[in-house]
Amino acid sequence: MRPAVLAGLLLGPALLVNLGTFLVPIINLALLSFNEVRPSGGVGPGPTLSTWAILFDDPYYMEIVGNSIGVSVMVTGFTVLAGYPVALFIHRAAARWRNLLVVACISPLLVSAVVRTYGWMVILGDNGIVAAALRGLGMAKAPRMVFNLTGVAIALVEILMPTMILCLLAGFGRLNASVEEAAASLGAPPWRVFLRVVLPLSLPGILLGCLLAFVLTVSSFITPKLLGGGRVILLATEIYDQAIVTLNWPLAAVLSVLSLGVFGLALLLYGRVLRLVEA
Amino acid sequence: MAGTRLVLEGLSKSFAGGPPVVAALSLVVEPGEMLGFLGPSGCGKTTTLRMIGGLTPASAGRVLVDGRDVTALPPHRRDMGIVFQNYALFPHMDVAGNVAFGLEMRGMKRPEIGERVARALDLVQLGHLAKRRPKELSGGQQQRVALARALVIEPSILLLDEPLSNLDAKLREDMRSEIRDIQQRLGITTVFVTHDQAEALALCDRIAVMHGGKIAQLGTPHTIYEHPATEFVADFVGRSNRFSAMAAGGMVTMGALSVRAPGDVRGAATVMIRPHRIALGAAPGGGEWNEATGAIARVTYVGDMLACEVAAGGVTFLVERPTQPGLADPRPGEAATLHWRVSDTLVFPAGGG
Repeated sequence: MRPAVLAGLLLGPALLVNLGTFLVPIINLALLSFNEVRPSGGVGPGPTLSTWAILFDDPYYMEIVGNSIGVSVMVTGFTVLAGYPVALFIHRAAARWRNLLVVACISPLLVSAVVRTYGWMVILGDNGIVAAALRGLGMAKAPRMVFNLTGVAIALVEILMPTMILCLLAGFGRLNASVEEAAASLGAPPWRVFLRVVLPLSLPGILLGCLLAFVLTVSSFITPKLLGGGRVILLATEIYDQAIVTLNWPLAAVLSVLSLGVFGLALLLYGRVLRLVEA
Repeated sequence: MAGTRLVLEGLSKSFAGGPPVVAALSLVVEPGEMLGFLGPSGCGKTTTLRMIGGLTPASAGRVLVDGRDVTALPPHRRDMGIVFQNYALFPHMDVAGNVAFGLEMRGMKRPEIGERVARALDLVQLGHLAKRRPKELSGGQQQRVALARALVIEPSILLLDEPLSNLDAKLREDMRSEIRDIQQRLGITTVFVTHDQAEALALCDRIAVMHGGKIAQLGTPHTIYEHPATEFVADFVGRSNRFSAMAAGGMVTMGALSVRAPGDVRGAATVMIRPHRIALGAAPGGGEWNEATGAIARVTYVGDMLACEVAAGGVTFLVERPTQPGLADPRPGEAATLHWRVSDTLVFPAGGG
C-alpha cells in the first residue's frame, strides 16, 4: 500500500469524526446567527442580518466583548507572573526532582474546575480563611472576594496555572545553565542575565502559555458564572444566558461566532509575535 | 595586554557528603603562561576551572589574581573570559551580538563596541559572518565565536573548558594551533582543561596532570612525557608497555628477563617503556642500552607505523617503528632482538597512583 493511501486511511476516521462533530456544528452555528428569534423563543426563518444588527444597536454586547478581552488579558498576565517563577524553579531543579515537581504542579488538573471553583468560594467567602486571616491581622473589614471580579480572577489564575507551567516548561528548551554562566562570566550581574538571556530565551514558552491562558479564560464559563455571582459578565456566560435562560439562540450564535473571531485574532497575534521572537 | 598572575592556594571542593572532588590544590600560573589541567573525567579538572571562574564556589582555599583575592567574587565581577565545552553562545543573538555582549555589560559606547567587535571577529577570521545566528554556523565557527566573545572583553585570565572536544579530528588540530597563536600574540594568562593528552602536550607551557582531585605532576610537556612522576602519569600521558616486576638496586626483573634501570626502587614495581623507544635489532653497543631476545608474535600495519608484538622472556613488548619504503617488515614467528635505552626504562613502586 502506498504511504499516502495508508496515511489517508489512518487519518480518515479522526477526520470524519471531526467533520461531523466539530465543523458541521460550527457551520450550523454560523448559519443560525443569520436567523432571528421569535417572541415564543423559536427560531424564525432566515437569512436575515437583524440579529447581527443588535450588536450595533445595543452597545451592551460590544461592552461584553471588550470586557471579556480585558479580563482575559488581566488573568493571563497574572497567570504568567505566578507561573513563571514556579516553572523556572522546576526547570532548574535536579533531574530526579523535576518529574515529581511537574506532577505536583499539574495534579490540580485531577480536580474538575467546578469543584475547584466551589473550593475557592469557601476559601474566599466572607467567613473563609482568607477573610478570617485578614481580620486576625487587624483589618477592620476584609475586602469582598466572592461574587465579584476579584474572586473570578483569583480562581481563574489558580485553575490556569498548571497549563501555564506546562507551556512554559515546554518553551524553555533553549534555556540552559551554561548560557547563563557565559553571560555572567562576560560581566552580567544576575538581573541583567535574566533580562538579556533568560527572559528572551523563554519567550516562546511565555507566548504559548499566554495564548492558551487567554483562550481558556475567554471561553471559561463555570468559574465566572459561580464566583462572579452574576456581576462578572463575560462572552461565555452571556452565551449561556442567551441560549439557556432567554432562549435567544440566534443571538447566542452571534456571540459564539464573535468569540471564535476573538480566538482567531489571538492566534494570529501569537503567530506574528512568535515569528518576531524566533527570527 | 600585560599578563596576569594567577595563584591557587589550597583550593578544595567537596559536595555534600561525598569525598573531595578537588583536594587542597595549589599552583601558580605565571603571567602569559598557558597551563593545562589534564586528566580523566572525574579527576576534578573542570571543577577547578569552575572555581577559578567563580561558577562553582570553593569549599576552601583561595584564588588570587595578581595578588587580589577573588575567591568571594561572583563570576560577573571576576573579569575572566570563559570558553565552554558546548560554546554556550546566545542563540537569540547574531554573532556580532554575542561578541558585543560583554562590552555592553561594561557600559561601553556603541561606536567603540562596533570597532572592538569587528577587530575580535577579524582575529578569529569570522568578520564576514557577523550577522549570522549561532545555529547557522558550523562547530568550528561557533567555537571561534565563543573564543572571540571571551577575548573581546580583554579578560585578565582566559579559561578554556575542553574547547576542542566537540570538533572533528582534523578541525581540532587546526583550532589547536589557532588558539595557541592567539594566546601567544595576546600574551594572555590561560588555563586550559582537557582529557586529551596530545592536546595538552601540543598547547600548554606547563601541564598539571590531575588524578583523584590532586595534582599528580606539574611540569612542562617534556618533563611530563619523559620523566613521569608516577605510574598514573606515565600511563595517562602517551602509550606504554607496562610490566609487573621486582626491582633491586638498578636492576628490574620481569618474567624471566632482567634489565638495568635508573633509580633506586626496591621490591615490587611497575616497569613502563614507551613502544616507540624500543627498536628492533641488536643494541649499538656501549653501556646505556638494554637488550632482549624473543620472537615476533604479531605485526599490525597502521599506515605511518608498524606495531609489533614481541614475546621475550615470558613478557610481551609492544614495539612501534615508523614505516619506510625499502625496509623489510618483520613477520610473525621470526626471531627478534629488542633494544632500548636504560634511561627509557621507567620504574615505579607497585601500587602507586
